[in-house]
Amino acid sequence: MDQTISPLLGSSGTFLPVKGPLTMATVTFDQATRVYPGSERPAVDKLELDIADGEFLVLVGPSGCGKSTSLRMLAGLEDVNEGAIRIGERDVTHLPPKDRDIAMVFQNYALYPHMTVADNMGFALKIAGVPKATIRQKVEDAAKILDLTEYLGRKPKALSGGQRQRVAMGRAIVREPQVFLMDEPLSNLDAKLRVSTRTQIASLQRRLGITTVYVTHDQVEALTMGDRVAVLKGGLLQQVDSPRNMYDRPANVFVAGFIGSPAMNLVEVPIVDGGVKFGNSVVPVNRDAIAEAANKGDTTVTVGIRPEHFDLVNGETKSLSKDDKAGLAVTVNVVEELGADGYVYGTAHVGGQDKDLVVRVNGREVPMKGETLHVVPRAGETHVFSTSTGERLTD
Amino acid sequence: MTDTQTGAVPEGEPVTTQLVPPELPGIDKRDAPSAPGKRQSGSEGRVLNVFSHAFLVVWGLLVTLPVLWAIMTSLKTDSEILKSPWALPDELKWNNWSRAWQDANMGDYFMNSVIVVGGSLVGTMLLGAMAAYVIARFEFPGNRFIYYLFISGMSFPIILALVPLFFVMDNMGLLNTYHGLILVYIGYSLPFTVFFLTSFFRTLPTSVAEAAILDGASHTRTFFQVMLPMAKPGLISVGIFNFLGQWNQYLLPTVLNTGEGKQVLPQGLVELAATQGYDGDWSGLFAGLVLATLPVLAVYIVFQRQVQAGLTAGALK
Repeated sequence: MDQTISPLLGSSGTFLPVKGPLTMATVTFDQATRVYPGSERPAVDKLELDIADGEFLVLVGPSGCGKSTSLRMLAGLEDVNEGAIRIGERDVTHLPPKDRDIAMVFQNYALYPHMTVADNMGFALKIAGVPKATIRQKVEDAAKILDLTEYLGRKPKALSGGQRQRVAMGRAIVREPQVFLMDEPLSNLDAKLRVSTRTQIASLQRRLGITTVYVTHDQVEALTMGDRVAVLKGGLLQQVDSPRNMYDRPANVFVAGFIGSPAMNLVEVPIVDGGVKFGNSVVPVNRDAIAEAANKGDTTVTVGIRPEHFDLVNGETKSLSKDDKAGLAVTVNVVEELGADGYVYGTAHVGGQDKDLVVRVNGREVPMKGETLHVVPRAGETHVFSTSTGERLTD
Repeated sequence: MTDTQTGAVPEGEPVTTQLVPPELPGIDKRDAPSAPGKRQSGSEGRVLNVFSHAFLVVWGLLVTLPVLWAIMTSLKTDSEILKSPWALPDELKWNNWSRAWQDANMGDYFMNSVIVVGGSLVGTMLLGAMAAYVIARFEFPGNRFIYYLFISGMSFPIILALVPLFFVMDNMGLLNTYHGLILVYIGYSLPFTVFFLTSFFRTLPTSVAEAAILDGASHTRTFFQVMLPMAKPGLISVGIFNFLGQWNQYLLPTVLNTGEGKQVLPQGLVELAATQGYDGDWSGLFAGLVLATLPVLAVYIVFQRQVQAGLTAGALK
C-alpha cells in the first residue's frame, strides 16, 4: 500500500519515488501568485508546493479558496503574476498550455459535442499529427481500460453522466501526458457513482503512475484519494501532508475544522495549572504548548477534539469538585443514527458560554434527546491551538 | 344550523348521531363554492384555448391562402385570371413558368440573385461569426467599443447612406458589379449578425474551448473545428434571417446595380410588373413571383427545426 511511499521530509518535503519513469514529472509551484485584474487580494498568494513524480496530490478547500485557480495556473489557462511553476526541470510559467505536456479533466467534462467518443479522445493526437492507425490503437486501448469500447461511435449526448466522465478521463489518458490535472471531476455524478468512480480514478492513477493534481471541495474525496493533501484558504496554503497526518496533526484551527466529518469540536478553554480546564475536569496538555500560549499573553487556548475522541464518563473519574460529576455535561439536542455509530449534537457550558458539541457514541447505546451526557476528551487525542493566532501548539 | 344543533344536545340524544348530519352540509357548503370555481377556471382555459386556436387558424389561413392562390394563378391563362380569379384552372399551364423563366429573363435574374446572395451570405456568416467569436470570448482594450460600433450600425437607417454609398461605390468602380453588391450586402448584414452571434457565443461553455486549447489546438482550429460546430443552431438561425433579407433586398440593388444583365430577382419582378402597362402578362408575372418565392420556402422547410433550436438555445442552460 501507500504507507511505504511516505517517508516525509517536512510539510513541503519530497517523496522518494517508488518507481522511476524516464522523465521525472515533478511539479513545483515556486511562490506562484495570481492576482485577478481589478482585485486587490491575490486569488493565489505565493503558493509554495512540491509535487513528487507519480504522486497524487489533492488540492482541497472551501469555494473561492484558490484551488481551481492554482490548477488553472498549472494548466496555463491563468496567468502567473509572480513566481514560477516548473514541471520537472522545465520552467513552464509562461509557456502556452499545449507546450506543457499536461492533460486536464474538467468539472463539466467539456467534451466536444459534435464529435464521437473516439474523435473526442483522439483529438489531441490528431492535432499533434500522429498517424491515424496509431491514434485508433491508443484510443481503443484507453477505451478498454475505461470500459468504453462499445460507445466509441457515439456522440457525448447519447451517454450517461458516468460514461461522459470516463470519456473525459480517456481523453486525458490517450495523450500520455506528464501531469494529469483534474478539476472536481466527480462533482456532477450522483453520490453512489461518485464513491465507486473515486476508487477507480485512484487505482487508475496508481497503475499509470502519472503525476496527478486533483482539485476538490470534498474533504472525504481528498482524504481517500490523495497521497498527500494540500488545504487552501483565501489563496493561502494552510498545510500539505498525508491524509493520516492531516487528520492527526492539523496545522491550524482552519484545517482542524475542515478535515474530518463531522467537524472537529473547537472549544476555547482557560489555562489552569497542569493543563486546561474542561468543564469539571482538567485535561492534561503538553507543558510547552501552555508555555507558548502564555508567552503570547493568552489566558485561554483553543482545544480541538474530534467527535470520535470523547469518552463517556458518568462520574467514575475524579473531578475538580466532589459535588459535580466528572467531565463536561452535554445536553443532547439531536441524535443522528448512522447504524454503526450515532452522533450526538448537544450543548455544553464551557468557559462561561454555551457551546455546540458533536460526540460520537456507540450505535447500540444512543442517548435520548434531552438527556445529559458527561464526556471527557481522550488523553493524547486533543489538539491545542493558540487562541490568538490559530496555530497548532502541541506536537 | 348551529342553534338547532346546540338545542338538540341537552335532550339526551346520542351526540354522535346528532353531530354527523350537521357536519355533512358543512362539508357540502365548503365544497360547493370551490367546485363551480374550478369548473369556471377550467372553462376559462378552454375558452382561451378555443380563441387562441381560432386565432392561429385564421393567421395560418392569412399566410397560406395568398401563397396557394399565387401558385394556382400562376398555372392559369390570362383570361381565366381576369374573368374568374377564384376558380381553379381548367388545365395546368406549366408553360407560364417556362415563359417567365426564359422570355421574361427570370432565369437570368435568378442566377444573378444566387451569385450575389450566395457570395454575400458566405461572407456575412464567416466574417460575422469570426468577429462575434472574438468579441464574445476575448478580453482586449476596445472590445466593448467595437461591439457597440456594430450595434450602432444596426440602428443606422440604410436609406440615409444611399447617396454617399452610391458615390463611394462609383469612385471605387464597384457600381453594377457582383462583388460590389456582395460587399455592400455583407456590410449591411454584419451588425445584426455580430450582435446575434456574440450573445450566442457567450452562452457556449468556456471549458470546451479551454479543453481544445489544452489539446493543442490553435485559435483558428479551436474556432473552426470546435466552437463553430457548437454554434450551428445560432448560425443557421441568423443565416436564414440574412438569406431572407438579402434575397428580398430591393432598395440597394435598385440604386447600386442598374446595369443590364446584372439585375437581381426583386428588380426583375418589378420590371415584369412595370412593363404590364397595356399588354399584361399576368400569368407570367405570377409564375415569376412563385419562382422567386420557392427558394425561400425551401430553405424554411429544410431548416425549420434548427431555427426553433436556435431561437430557444441558451434558454435552458
